[in-house]
Amino acid sequence: MADALKGALGAGEASREQRRGTLILGGALLALGLRRVSFGSAALALTGGALLYRELARRPGQAGAKTSEVTRSVTIGRSADELYGFRRGAGHLPRVMEHFAVITETDQDRAHWTVHVPGGRSFSWDTQIVDDRPGELLSWQSLPGTELPNRGEVRFRPAPGDRGSEVTLHLHFQPPGAAAAKALNGLVPRTLAGDALRRFKSLVETGEIPTLDRNPSGRAATA
Amino acid sequence: MRALCWEGVNDLRVQTVPDPEIVNPHDVILRITMSTTCGSDLHFIDGYVPSMVPGDVIGHEFMGIVEDVGPEVKKVKKGDRVVVPSFVACGDCWYCQHDLYSLCDNTNPNAELQAPLLGYPTGACFGYTHAFGGYAGSHAQYMRVPHADVGCFHVPDGLRDEQVLFLSDAAPTGYMGADFCDIKPGDIVAVWGCGGVGLMAQQSAFLLGAERVIAIDRFPERLKMAREHIGSETINYAETPDVLAILQEMTGGRGPDACIDAVGMEAHGTGPGYLYDKALQTLRLVTDRGQALRQAIMAVRKGGTLSILGVYGVMDKFPVGVIMNKGLTVRTAQQHGQHYLPRLLEHAVKGELDPSYLATHRFSLEDGPRAYDMFKNKEDGIVRAVFTP
Repeated sequence: MADALKGALGAGEASREQRRGTLILGGALLALGLRRVSFGSAALALTGGALLYRELARRPGQAGAKTSEVTRSVTIGRSADELYGFRRGAGHLPRVMEHFAVITETDQDRAHWTVHVPGGRSFSWDTQIVDDRPGELLSWQSLPGTELPNRGEVRFRPAPGDRGSEVTLHLHFQPPGAAAAKALNGLVPRTLAGDALRRFKSLVETGEIPTLDRNPSGRAATA
Repeated sequence: MRALCWEGVNDLRVQTVPDPEIVNPHDVILRITMSTTCGSDLHFIDGYVPSMVPGDVIGHEFMGIVEDVGPEVKKVKKGDRVVVPSFVACGDCWYCQHDLYSLCDNTNPNAELQAPLLGYPTGACFGYTHAFGGYAGSHAQYMRVPHADVGCFHVPDGLRDEQVLFLSDAAPTGYMGADFCDIKPGDIVAVWGCGGVGLMAQQSAFLLGAERVIAIDRFPERLKMAREHIGSETINYAETPDVLAILQEMTGGRGPDACIDAVGMEAHGTGPGYLYDKALQTLRLVTDRGQALRQAIMAVRKGGTLSILGVYGVMDKFPVGVIMNKGLTVRTAQQHGQHYLPRLLEHAVKGELDPSYLATHRFSLEDGPRAYDMFKNKEDGIVRAVFTP
């Protein structure tokens, strides 16, 4: 599986397709960052902007693509079986990830992801569950043909005492271009993975996800 | 609705902003009946704590009447008169279930922004910086309160608004600071700061059994308040050369059994040490002026307790060797209001706690910028500015 994936992801020079992917990803992060006004979003926007800048400044064919990986863990006050059940339950994944992507669950094992970018364009891929161990692990990968190949897994194991379960999210993706890989190895994947885990935890523990949607403010207000 | 917004460093404006709405199922919308200034607001007004965004509605100490309830709210209903702690807590996570409400895991929408600053994120605070959640605050006509069943406490009939208002933040913070001191019969507690939190810490120390309370400040009218409303003994550090020596003499050479810092990062002081801190902070080379905290660490008896309520950043020149060699216990937190409010309401009903004297000045919301200016510069003996929106 790993070899097949490596082939699909491509480890050689950055192609035109890959550059396009980076530009789209950078634009998406920039748009995401600018959509909400907060410190985290500003960081997201900055990273997106940096990605765009570095990709645009780079000549085609420079530097090979590298994989980008991130691992984040959170402890959630529920048993591993319950958490696995929540993750598998219809509608949970789209809600947890709605700050980043629009997800349509096509069947129990497949989902269609869309990230909207400025100018009405969008960037999408399909994922397929490739390993499913109830109460323990779930892993998935994008199907070949996407501009942003990725795979990930979520692992559940009991936490000590009355603390519930330790949940680890591992994301692995192949951003096209070395500059993108380097940038993505930093803040953004960590933030995306951390946000996803925290949103999942809040939804499971409290039945809602904390949000600043429709938060009153004097931004663009009349004095 | 009208709201007081932070528009930049030392730039507050009253503006028309959109009304809050029920967004999540455990939300309520509160019509604010009373809201007050807090010393910790001064840190972002002065630009010392980061992550404010122009337009943010500020204010985190408040009470009101429930105007609208979300579909999952069970204990609170429309028309209820409630007081709400300034930190938002979910009631369901491990921290909430262990009475550590301000450390809640599930209420900070900007948790990923705060984590790099602290290692792990805390709960959210209303009307404060975006690292602390970014929820719109209480200096407005209405506000959204998430997890209302955990945060809203019913006000018993017979208590006036100004008797209850400070149970939102100053009173539980002060009470928690005194609770941290694990007061035993005969104990002497010293409190740095006679603002709202400092005065509440002094009163709480007596409620929890302290033999004597010593208050340290520089404003005669605040020290008078500590003497007359609480029964504290007082030291005006602006008039005395050596606070440490005086505290030692007042405690038979032992030092106070516990010292509470209710001052924080913008402490005032005297002498070259203060000027050095002030200069570095003005140049943004350090986040804190640590005079009060360092003095408290020096003053506390061997094996005693240091309780920190003041808000600090990343302080340097922190004398950890003094703490270590003297075997001190250090306890500190943002207030766990949901843990203390039932007890405080009981004290209020019995007439043992009436913080209404803190409300020295009243303003309409439209006067918000002027009120904060007076509060910051301690004009006219102001302790707290209260808004009735």
